[in-house]
Amino acid sequence: MIVAQDLHKSFKTPTGVVRAVEGVRFTARDGEITGLLGPNGAGKTTTLRMLYTLMKPDAGQVLVDGVDASRDPAAVRGALGVLPDARGVYKRLTARENIAYFGELHGMSKQAIDQRTQVLADALQMHDILDRRTEGFSQGQRTKTAIARALVHDPRNVILDEPTNGLDVMTTRAMRGFLQHLRAEGRCVIFSSHIMQEVAALCDRIVIVAKGQVVAAGTADELREQTGEANLEDAFVKAIGSEEGLHA
Amino acid sequence: MSAASMTNRPGMFASMWSVMRKELRDISRDRRTLALALLLGPLLYPVLMIGMGSLAESRARTQLDRTLEVPTVGMERAPNLVAFLGTQGIRAVKAPEDVDAAIVRQEFDVALRIAPGYANDWRAGKPALVEIVADTTRRDSEIPSARVRAALEGYSGQVGSLRLLARGIDPAVVRAVSVGSRDLATEEAKRGLMLAAIMPYLLILMSFIGGAYLIMDATAGERERQSLEPLLATPASRGAIVSGKIAAACAMGLLSLLLTLVAFKISAQMSTGVGRMLDVSFASIGRILLILLPMVFIGTTLLTCLAAAAKSLKEAQSHMTWLMLLPMIPTIALIVNPVKTQAWQFMVPFLAQNQMLLKVIRGEAIDLRTWGIYLGTGFVVAALLWFMAVRRYHQERLAISG
Repeated sequence: MIVAQDLHKSFKTPTGVVRAVEGVRFTARDGEITGLLGPNGAGKTTTLRMLYTLMKPDAGQVLVDGVDASRDPAAVRGALGVLPDARGVYKRLTARENIAYFGELHGMSKQAIDQRTQVLADALQMHDILDRRTEGFSQGQRTKTAIARALVHDPRNVILDEPTNGLDVMTTRAMRGFLQHLRAEGRCVIFSSHIMQEVAALCDRIVIVAKGQVVAAGTADELREQTGEANLEDAFVKAIGSEEGLHA
Repeated sequence: MSAASMTNRPGMFASMWSVMRKELRDISRDRRTLALALLLGPLLYPVLMIGMGSLAESRARTQLDRTLEVPTVGMERAPNLVAFLGTQGIRAVKAPEDVDAAIVRQEFDVALRIAPGYANDWRAGKPALVEIVADTTRRDSEIPSARVRAALEGYSGQVGSLRLLARGIDPAVVRAVSVGSRDLATEEAKRGLMLAAIMPYLLILMSFIGGAYLIMDATAGERERQSLEPLLATPASRGAIVSGKIAAACAMGLLSLLLTLVAFKISAQMSTGVGRMLDVSFASIGRILLILLPMVFIGTTLLTCLAAAAKSLKEAQSHMTWLMLLPMIPTIALIVNPVKTQAWQFMVPFLAQNQMLLKVIRGEAIDLRTWGIYLGTGFVVAALLWFMAVRRYHQERLAISG
């Protein structure tokens, strides 16, 4: 379970202070998919970066399975599987070596790594690319490698930043199937997206973020009720206040 | 779910070791870069050494042994002198119209001018004027000028003594002081003279930037390729990650240095001239390696600091220009202002390495205190830079690529 409590984060830039996140709060439960929906620049990536301890919040708290991220960031990172916005794989290593490297950094034994690689290659259907160097991989193959690498240590909590970004239709469908598979295993899954249909189709709970703040949150039914719109997409647009930056 | 049973919190050294192994495997797959990084030194060095050695030697030999042709103005005025020069392997030939211009045009290295009044002065027993015309800034004219001067002084001394004897005087009375000189330079020091100028610079440079490619690729490059953020999302501490990268680059730098020194030893034993006289015993090779060890660490950690702060790989690479000049500074400073060896010199990076290497090349003993000062400050500087590199990796903005 991941709890975000009143997160704030601002950056100094040459043109002034940018308040990227101003009071984001939500709870992502185990066995559920929690979707962060919002237009580009709403603060989704910054929020996620605070969850996986890459950034320290200016204010607020992150709890992962009850552990305070500012107290024991290494333990939190060990309990998380993260597919960041930047998902570069090592070009000169094979997919298997990419996965094993992260397994080692999670303190796994060689047998455990081999076993998990097998399981993930089944689930992601990537046996054919496992022993190829990732140089020349398609976007979909790279994303699969990056996800397998992120989940090698069998984490209870999974954070994915726009996992379907840049994928073709077939791979996107497979990816959605994989997210449902993670939920069925009882994991806590958080993913961010600016695609309304994707969020509507997948998520148990939806957190709508705009201009660094949570503007609405709840199940699909609750959101429809809160906004008074029968159509979920209309509800999204109403909550955010504009269609700008969203994708159907 | 078996998350807890499958993962243990990895230790600092386990993570460091994983990162180091990965970086070395990564670069070993990049054949061309690896070959360039590892073989450039070992190949370049012997070529440079044998080439330079044999060039200098052949120049010295030909200039010393060959009959020297010296354009002489007014040859007919001093037939005896011309005959004497001939016995010294110096053949006076007819000079062109304008000797000075010919020297400036570098047609000859050295020329002689016998003054019009030579014959009269000679007969009158006065000093007869013979001028040596040469351009002293041209290194090529050094040996010929010296030969001509020595021959002329020999002639002057010989004729002078004969004149004194003809007057019944012992020639020794005009030599009030007998000046002799004893050169205290050891044979080893003399041999090392030429190589002393260039060898330390090359060795220091090699160790300073030997791991440069790997560390820039593993820091600025990793950031540019967007794989740093996922890496920092693992439980491995940032200190372990950056230390592993530094360790990999140091391993590369040391390997390249070792290969260079082995090539150096082999080529020194095979070459005929100056190279042959170098001390390339395993003991001195070992000493050189120990001297350069702190430099490998200093170079790699400094590059890590710079590359971690750079926005792109290109920006990181642009640092190379001034970094390559850095080891040259003490060499230049010592040429301009030679100073006596003092303890503080073994504490200044680059100067210290330079002085230590010179001692080994000159075959001088290095006492324990000097080793202590040298290695102590070297490793302290490296440790400081390492600490700065780790601090850099803790900065938040480092992780955000692009």
